[in-house]
Amino acid sequence: MDSVFLVDDDPAVLKSLSRALREDGWAVETFESAEAFLARHGSATRGCLVLDVTMPGLNGLELQRKLAESRQALPIVFLTGDGDIPTSVQAIKAGAADFLTKPVASAILSGVIRAAIEKAASARESQAEMEMLQQRLATLTPREREVLAAVASGRLNKQIAGDLGVVEQTVKFHRAKIMERMQAHTLAELMHIAAKLGIEATERH
Amino acid sequence: MLFSNNRLLPANIEIDNGFRDEIATLSQRNVQLFSEFLDQPTFSGSEYEQTVTEYLRKKYAVHPPGIIIAVGDNALEFMLRHHGDLFQSIPVLHIAVGSAFLRANEPVPSDVVGIPADYDSLGTIQLALRWHPRTQRLVIVTGASDWDRGREAALRTGIPALNLAVTVEFLAALPSDAVVNRLAELGPGDVVYTPGYFRDGAGREFLPRDSAALMAAKSRAPIYAPYNPFIGTGIVGGRMPDFKDMGRQAAIAVNHLLDGVPLVDLKLPAKAAARVNVDWRQVLKWKIDPALIPIDSVVHFRQPSFWEEHRKQALLIAAVILLQALLIAALLVERRLRRRTASALQESEDRMSLAARAARLSMWVWEMVGTARKSSADAQAQTGARAVAPISFDDVLQTVHPSDRERFGRAVRQSAAGDEELEIEYRSVEPDGETRWFAARGRAEKPGGRMTGVAMDITARKTAEQQAERDRSALTHMARVSIMGQLSVSIAHQLNQPLAAILGNAEAAYKMLDHDVLDIAELKEICGDIITQDHRATEVIRHLGALYKRGELKLEPLNLNELVTETLNLVHTELTTRHVTVTTELAPSPLIVDGGRVHLQQVLLNLILNAADAMSEVGADQRHLVIRTELDGESVRLRVIDNGTGIAPQNLKNVFDAFWTSKVGGIGVGLAICKSIIAAHQGTLTAANNGGPGATFCATWPVRLQVSSAVSKHG
Repeated sequence: MDSVFLVDDDPAVLKSLSRALREDGWAVETFESAEAFLARHGSATRGCLVLDVTMPGLNGLELQRKLAESRQALPIVFLTGDGDIPTSVQAIKAGAADFLTKPVASAILSGVIRAAIEKAASARESQAEMEMLQQRLATLTPREREVLAAVASGRLNKQIAGDLGVVEQTVKFHRAKIMERMQAHTLAELMHIAAKLGIEATERH
Repeated sequence: MLFSNNRLLPANIEIDNGFRDEIATLSQRNVQLFSEFLDQPTFSGSEYEQTVTEYLRKKYAVHPPGIIIAVGDNALEFMLRHHGDLFQSIPVLHIAVGSAFLRANEPVPSDVVGIPADYDSLGTIQLALRWHPRTQRLVIVTGASDWDRGREAALRTGIPALNLAVTVEFLAALPSDAVVNRLAELGPGDVVYTPGYFRDGAGREFLPRDSAALMAAKSRAPIYAPYNPFIGTGIVGGRMPDFKDMGRQAAIAVNHLLDGVPLVDLKLPAKAAARVNVDWRQVLKWKIDPALIPIDSVVHFRQPSFWEEHRKQALLIAAVILLQALLIAALLVERRLRRRTASALQESEDRMSLAARAARLSMWVWEMVGTARKSSADAQAQTGARAVAPISFDDVLQTVHPSDRERFGRAVRQSAAGDEELEIEYRSVEPDGETRWFAARGRAEKPGGRMTGVAMDITARKTAEQQAERDRSALTHMARVSIMGQLSVSIAHQLNQPLAAILGNAEAAYKMLDHDVLDIAELKEICGDIITQDHRATEVIRHLGALYKRGELKLEPLNLNELVTETLNLVHTELTTRHVTVTTELAPSPLIVDGGRVHLQQVLLNLILNAADAMSEVGADQRHLVIRTELDGESVRLRVIDNGTGIAPQNLKNVFDAFWTSKVGGIGVGLAICKSIIAAHQGTLTAANNGGPGATFCATWPVRLQVSSAVSKHG
């Protein structure tokens, strides 16, 4: 179960929001400052950060920047006491999941948190897949990478052999090795993987 | 008989005379009287005393005295000190010794008895002030010898206790020339008191009587003294014990002792009482009201004059002659005067009337008791000196605006009762229904009598003042609302925080009600939190309401520390957003001072936001603001200290000018208005650069304000 981390310098707000969110079934942890949150949570934290914008010391936007620097994928929902548009734009641009104005109904807040957590989960999944593909890519030899790039850009074996100045048989041999190493069962699948890895555009001559 | 002072001291001579007269009539005995003089204060000191003691012991070894009479403080002091080795076991009788000296030397040995003398210096001063009711200054003259210094010290401690309503000037230990010159400068309103002196500031020796004579010859103010030998030197008088009488009392006591009455059984008078002595010539000279002189006073130099002896005849003859002469003279003089004054008066009246009309000035006479003839027509045509006829004050009161009537009536009657001058501004309703402002000044002709004075139409000035007041108030309000505009984000935050807390709590409670088992304690706590947060929101709205509202400056006691805290709450979000941290250094609470709550808050908001602006260019971690309140005696200081870029030296003198600003987009009225608000608190607002970075704004005003001026301005 993912947790909700509430950060707000106003103890009354902190208490009431945590009550409402707990009633909605969330596990809630509260912090009275951005510093207190940073002190408690390392990079392994999972869940959703509900963050007040205006706080003494490190404010909401600054905490967001710090988390981004340490490559944390924790989704952030901002809560603010004043509907300050420039601030909300800045927050969303920096990757905030949402930007809500106080007072906020708990149903809306819960909905936003849930969406943010789901989105983060799927982002985590695609990132995991990406990492796996990159590991596989790393096992290719430089020559195989060249062949893969050529295949991905849609060139035929014969054309590739011509480009590289080798016989067609050698290209076929490389292709079989690539399929094996990238764990692709069909050419379409290999093309898909190459697209995901963004190979096509970068290695074309 | 051992005298304190000089052989020629008039008091000594009188005592001596009194004693000799009385002893001669009382007794057929051959009483031999030997007199010794200590010659104080010219001769003094322990060596001198030793010599005198030696001399007396040797001189009287053969014929020891039967009784010692110690005359005056110094003689008794001498005897008390040397009784052990001089005239031991011979009884001592003292006279002319001040009761203050006896009190200071209590208890005296059992073989020393006497009749204390009542030298009533303070009583004499009070007497003098009673006889001269218009006295404004009391001048005290004392000398330079030890004795003189003693008189001066006693007066300096005694006079303040009398709580006199006059100023007191000491001419102490001055050269006689200086004393006389000063006395010659005095005039009506001054009264002099002197005990005389033995030595002046230049070292010249005197008999006190001679010093008094010297003063009386030149003084332009009446002189009073506590010693009766001074009478005849030109002094007026005083409360004085009788020295001759002291001599007589001593003789009576001596006679009893010689009759064999033991010292302890001697019936002595409690004191030689002071009586009022007065020189009648001086009473006439200084025009003292004879009714003020007590019946039992000793009056000197009043000789039944020709006037008193042949009163009736003289009166008749004088009256006839006088009447005839007067009649003739008066007829002649009057004829000429009448002709001359008539034209002069006409001219003067014309001038007066012209000036009065030009100044919109009118003269009036108000009859305070309701018997004056009604003359409202005259009242309206008051302009010009000739139109002044008394009108009934009740009629005047009817024309005064109802809102001012009570205040006006009270002030006029108060002034009419005393001799205080009337000075008042009031509104009057003219016959056409128009309200006009007048300023009136006047005084009672005599206490309780009718009032005369002038009134000036000040309607134009008043209207301008009121308009200026309204404009200033509008501008102040506008500036405040403009600050509130700057703070709108901060204010929204202040309101939304409690609202968010309330909503969250309410939703949580709503959902908890669906639980199978209700946690009543938790629900109760939630409701409590809701109530608290609702109060918090209400409080914010209440403060905002007051700040948005337009109102006159209202001065009332308030807790300045609380005001600082409230104001900081209001700008909390604004300051947090701008990374400004605040430290408050407040005087011990509650710091109750007079002030206008809303207006002071406006000043604080202005200074805080200015400080935040001044710090926008320094590093976020250095934006530090200090707010300090201090009590300094009768005034309070409020300081706002920032850490910013400071004020450029060439701008320091301009910061409070209206429409001067160093900010892009500022209109430059904020600080000008702040200064005028503090000025309305009878205080000052100043700006200065700190020793380190940044600037300090300091508002100072009195803790207790006279509210009357602010009130009277608005009637």
